[in-house]
Amino acid sequence: MTTFNVKINGRGYGPTEVRDELTMNDYLREYLGLTGTKISCGAAQCLSCAVIVDNPDGTSYTSPTCIVAAVRFNGKSIRTVEGHARNGELSVLQKAFIEHFAFQCGYCTAGFLNEAQVLLERLAKKRVPRADLEKTIAEALDGHLCRCTGYIKYHEAVRDVILADPQRYLV
Amino acid sequence: MLAELHAGVLLGVAALLATMISAQAVSDVPAESLARADSFAAIGDTAARSAALFTEAAKVLTHPRCMNCHPAGDRPRQGDVRGLHQPPVDRGEDGFGLPALRCPICHQQANFDPGRVPGDPAWHLAPREMGWEGKTVGQICAQIKDPARNGGRSLDDIVHHIGTDHLVGWAWAPGAGRQSAPGTQAQEGALLDEWVKTGAACPN
Amino acid sequence: MRTSRRDFVKLLTGSGIALSVSRLALAGGGDFAARETLPGRQNWNPAATGAGRIDGVVKVTGSKLYAGDFRAADLPGWPAQTSHAMLIRATDATHIYDALDLSSLTGALRPSVVVTAEDLARIGVRVPQFYAGDLFCPIRRTPVYLGQPIALLIFEDFDRFDQARLALRDATVVKYGEETGQITRPPYAAFRFTRVAGATPDALDVYSPVKNGWVSPGKFQNTERPIWARLPIPTGQEYAEAARYGEDIRTELAADNPARLVLERQFETQSVDPMFLEPESGLAWYDPSRKNLELVVGVQSPYDAAESVAFLFSEAKAAHKPARINMQFAYMGGGFGGRDHTPFPLYVALAAMFFPGHPVRLANNRYEQFQSGIKRHAFSLHTRMGVDRATGKIFAFAADHVLHAGGLANFSPSVATVAATAALGIYYSPKVDITTVSLPSRAVTTGSMRGYGTLQTMTALEVLVDEMCTALPLDPIEFRRRNALKTGERTMAGNTYSVSIRTPEILDKLEQHAIWRGRAAEKTRGREAGSLVGTGVACATKDYGTGADCSLAAVEIDPDGRIAIRINGTEMGNALGTAVANRVAAHLGGVADEVALAQIDAFGPLALVTSGDARKIDQKTQDAAARNPRWVPEISSATAASTGAHVGTHAAAEAARVIFRFGLWPAALELWGVGPNDSRAKEWERARWRDGQLLAPAPLSQAVAPPLAPLSLAVIAAKVHARNGVSGAMAHGFNRWAWSQANFKIDGQNWTADIDALALRRGRGKFARLDRSNVRFPPTDFNRIGTTYTALCGTLVRVEINRITGALRIAKAYSVLECGNALVPQVVIGQAQGGFAMGVGYTFLETLPLYEDGPGSGKWNLGQYLVARGSDLPLRDLEIEVLPAMDADERPKGMAEVVMIPVVAALINAIFDATGHRFGSLPVTQQMLKEVLT
Repeated sequence: MTTFNVKINGRGYGPTEVRDELTMNDYLREYLGLTGTKISCGAAQCLSCAVIVDNPDGTSYTSPTCIVAAVRFNGKSIRTVEGHARNGELSVLQKAFIEHFAFQCGYCTAGFLNEAQVLLERLAKKRVPRADLEKTIAEALDGHLCRCTGYIKYHEAVRDVILADPQRYLV
Repeated sequence: MLAELHAGVLLGVAALLATMISAQAVSDVPAESLARADSFAAIGDTAARSAALFTEAAKVLTHPRCMNCHPAGDRPRQGDVRGLHQPPVDRGEDGFGLPALRCPICHQQANFDPGRVPGDPAWHLAPREMGWEGKTVGQICAQIKDPARNGGRSLDDIVHHIGTDHLVGWAWAPGAGRQSAPGTQAQEGALLDEWVKTGAACPN
Repeated sequence: MRTSRRDFVKLLTGSGIALSVSRLALAGGGDFAARETLPGRQNWNPAATGAGRIDGVVKVTGSKLYAGDFRAADLPGWPAQTSHAMLIRATDATHIYDALDLSSLTGALRPSVVVTAEDLARIGVRVPQFYAGDLFCPIRRTPVYLGQPIALLIFEDFDRFDQARLALRDATVVKYGEETGQITRPPYAAFRFTRVAGATPDALDVYSPVKNGWVSPGKFQNTERPIWARLPIPTGQEYAEAARYGEDIRTELAADNPARLVLERQFETQSVDPMFLEPESGLAWYDPSRKNLELVVGVQSPYDAAESVAFLFSEAKAAHKPARINMQFAYMGGGFGGRDHTPFPLYVALAAMFFPGHPVRLANNRYEQFQSGIKRHAFSLHTRMGVDRATGKIFAFAADHVLHAGGLANFSPSVATVAATAALGIYYSPKVDITTVSLPSRAVTTGSMRGYGTLQTMTALEVLVDEMCTALPLDPIEFRRRNALKTGERTMAGNTYSVSIRTPEILDKLEQHAIWRGRAAEKTRGREAGSLVGTGVACATKDYGTGADCSLAAVEIDPDGRIAIRINGTEMGNALGTAVANRVAAHLGGVADEVALAQIDAFGPLALVTSGDARKIDQKTQDAAARNPRWVPEISSATAASTGAHVGTHAAAEAARVIFRFGLWPAALELWGVGPNDSRAKEWERARWRDGQLLAPAPLSQAVAPPLAPLSLAVIAAKVHARNGVSGAMAHGFNRWAWSQANFKIDGQNWTADIDALALRRGRGKFARLDRSNVRFPPTDFNRIGTTYTALCGTLVRVEINRITGALRIAKAYSVLECGNALVPQVVIGQAQGGFAMGVGYTFLETLPLYEDGPGSGKWNLGQYLVARGSDLPLRDLEIEVLPAMDADERPKGMAEVVMIPVVAALINAIFDATGHRFGSLPVTQQMLKEVLT
């Protein structure tokens, strides 16, 4: 058993004592009822379970939660899909996903949102040439499996968010 | 690029599994043993003995635990069936992955058995020049000896690396669902030590 | 065979279970029904402006929506704590199950309850006919199939469950004894479909399934395989007659005739998994003090699930027999057929029943989902096609299909028949003979999956056609033009389609497309660059509908003009909620902001009753039953077979038409001051909505009356309520290859519509049923029809193959389809893109061994089972074109399956064009490509 603390969508949780084998995914879904983060393969092969981890230096990355122990997130600050909208206002990406009809059943959507959000933040810090945009998006999203959509509308949504603000994201 | 499905490999593994009781988990498959270094003393010719030692040591080097991260290309393999790693990951610039899928995110400081994910503090891909996939034992031998392709290591460095390095050592404690490399790390180190002492000859 | 409704009603009353599935009272935002009724009155509705789906907001914000999201604490009125259950499943189906060893579960890890076959027998559980078989393998018997449940373990709380799960994972839990081999059983089904056309196109068929009935061979050798030959037996003359014609066709195909070309080929397809992203799960709670059983699941077939759970306990001992079962159905994270008639809800119900007072969750992890989820059938296909060399026309077609089915029958017989009747694809042949048999095995259960057998048969067909074109030779588009079934021509079942057949347009599009036109040049260019380039084409037509489909809907409009819709159809990604809202909006001028799906008892006012089996009932019985104004051949049905647009939205559209005609229109007339004798009063069909305003029809004659101002929906709705007009309608429709029709008297008018039940609501009043008159149910001999509804899709692909490695890249692709009036065009395109991806996976990546090294072992996950990723697809080079509807009145067609089908053969044909090798099995892996290139 280990005691751990974690910040989720800006709010502190803990100290909580949990088994060392408890996965972060089970902590989110079973302990906290935050079921926006999904579980699908449970083996980090589909990335439906991915959340955003925010480093102290201002960088962020996505992490699966199904094969990482909850206690590994001790002291970390994470964002889940439930935290993207602020005061009822959807994020630019959330709106783009809706307007592009990017998802169908929606089960993989949380993972794609988190990944795309991290990509936007990464590009805002280090822009890429327009010619590299599609490849950059493809590399960022390829770990995420979707069975319904064939991916195209997801990619178009992310691309269009970036193209709508080229100074921020593109060289 | 389309992901590969090595039907040939799968068929081979299926045949292997068919010889075992189906109810057993793959992790129950016992690791092969390694011959002890001194058991080669019977081979009179030094060069032949040296080559035989390396051939034995190569059972480790060509085992999935090692080969999976010493690929010919930029993508690691996964599992005893040696399928392409899912999710698809790429070596990236530093061998630790592309920005969206860095190795240490999933492969943490140690194995996480509840998630059946292996881990080590140094988890990453061997450099491209150290890829052994598709090579013969003789070719791997030459490659390992070549400072241009082995990270500038001397033969003693090689023995030390394979015999004591922590990430290499993971191969013998790979976690549930994975067959261990043959023998033990100490045995492997001893084989390679004797190989160097006998002239580090390469098999054909 | 389904339990007849009459029996079920007897079960209800005789056994005392009330299957009232009323929704939990709407209690401010939190309850299940409120979460699943979208978008919700207070919330933004992207669909209102066509800018998204009604479920758009909930899906991007991670709101609780799927069955897997809910725990007891989320459901008002339930105890707070959730217990967790797991199934122990057999991984051996050739040895006797000897013992269950849970010794690794000590102390706190011990389950609170262990349920086995013996427990089910003890309390008197009955298995519904569709799911016939032991729900748990009894001890000292050989499991019938890999993955068959052996025991259900229930743990007090999640932590105990999780620790037990980990402890059991490395233990040997099930002990097996003597080897018995696989349990052998007779085929699930066998049929012969034979058609011989008359001498002229207008002449009656000499023989056909529609004309002469469906036949099955009567004899089986060693209970394993049917004997297809004509046997000199006194009974079974119907089969003998079909076999006589069939054998003649085969003799003709076998004859040596230089004027004709006959190709005979074998094609093998593989087992695959629907791999919907949300694994199956459910939550249930049995309250023994009130004898109330609550369940939450996500299935494509809610009505069947509810009936089946009720049947399960209908004869149970008193302590285990609920008085009331309340089932609620959630949005699904994918379905693809795998959630249609799945046995999973039965186990969820049992978990609750054996741990009374405790809410219990049962959920598959992905290993378990692979181990037990319904699979697509692997097919062995032997096909013969004969073509006249001079004309290029098909003179005869014969095929033998073997379906490699799994442990439970499920939909296997149905898949066999649908696959067979689609085996001729887009083509016409005057002579057809097809045998099909579905063989059980110890493999994981096979059932419905996108394409439903037609993916397999049409892939084999389009690959054979491609070879035929090479052999004749004849241009592949020209061959298809000459042989495409034309409007009015008969299918191989012997009927005509009742919808548009747009093959010529589809073929024109394929022929004119740059991918096709540039194929020779691209091949040459590829050769120069050192790679192999090929282009492939294929064309498919897929039926939509099952022959016994039901549409149920209630549509209501409030005094502010806000629209609420409740339907029986389900949501699995298909955007049915948005589609029905859009279809209703065409009639009512506004997009609903409260859409509730998967409803099974929201239609009480219709007071429907049913009896018999809609697929087997005879005409006399149907006519007699129809005299009861509340009788229908079937009350509800699953969302499957591409029926969302065509069936799922139908009753809502009919209800909306009634509301418009008898609610909104009279109110509008009153607001316009148009009297009943004014000729404009009858022009309700010519009125149009624009931007939420009703535009009066333009005057037909040189009217002197002043123009009528547009009226907003809100204003009209207020008027409807003020005058206590029709503000809501509830309807039922039944489709057996045609909609049932009936007449209703509404406000003195005779109203004829494609529905068989109707209830109306006036103002804020309650729904009141109207008696129908002159109901016309589709004739029972329509059950002989293969299908009357079909939608087409053609696909072109260009592939580039690396000569050395065999790695294949899809450089460009194009799919063109038609689907009548598309209710949500962006979703049609999305489905076509997703269907393309699934087709790519099926062609190159996905395969499951059938037996011990397959998913039944419980060891399969996405590391071995490869599903198409973005990097496998031409993300920027896939063009989808949807033909505009024939006219504004063309009804929507189902297209969700057809968009997957031609992709596979197009890829196989492209590989042939590139390499000269024609593959006869799936999947085609890189290794296989590499081997044919070296």
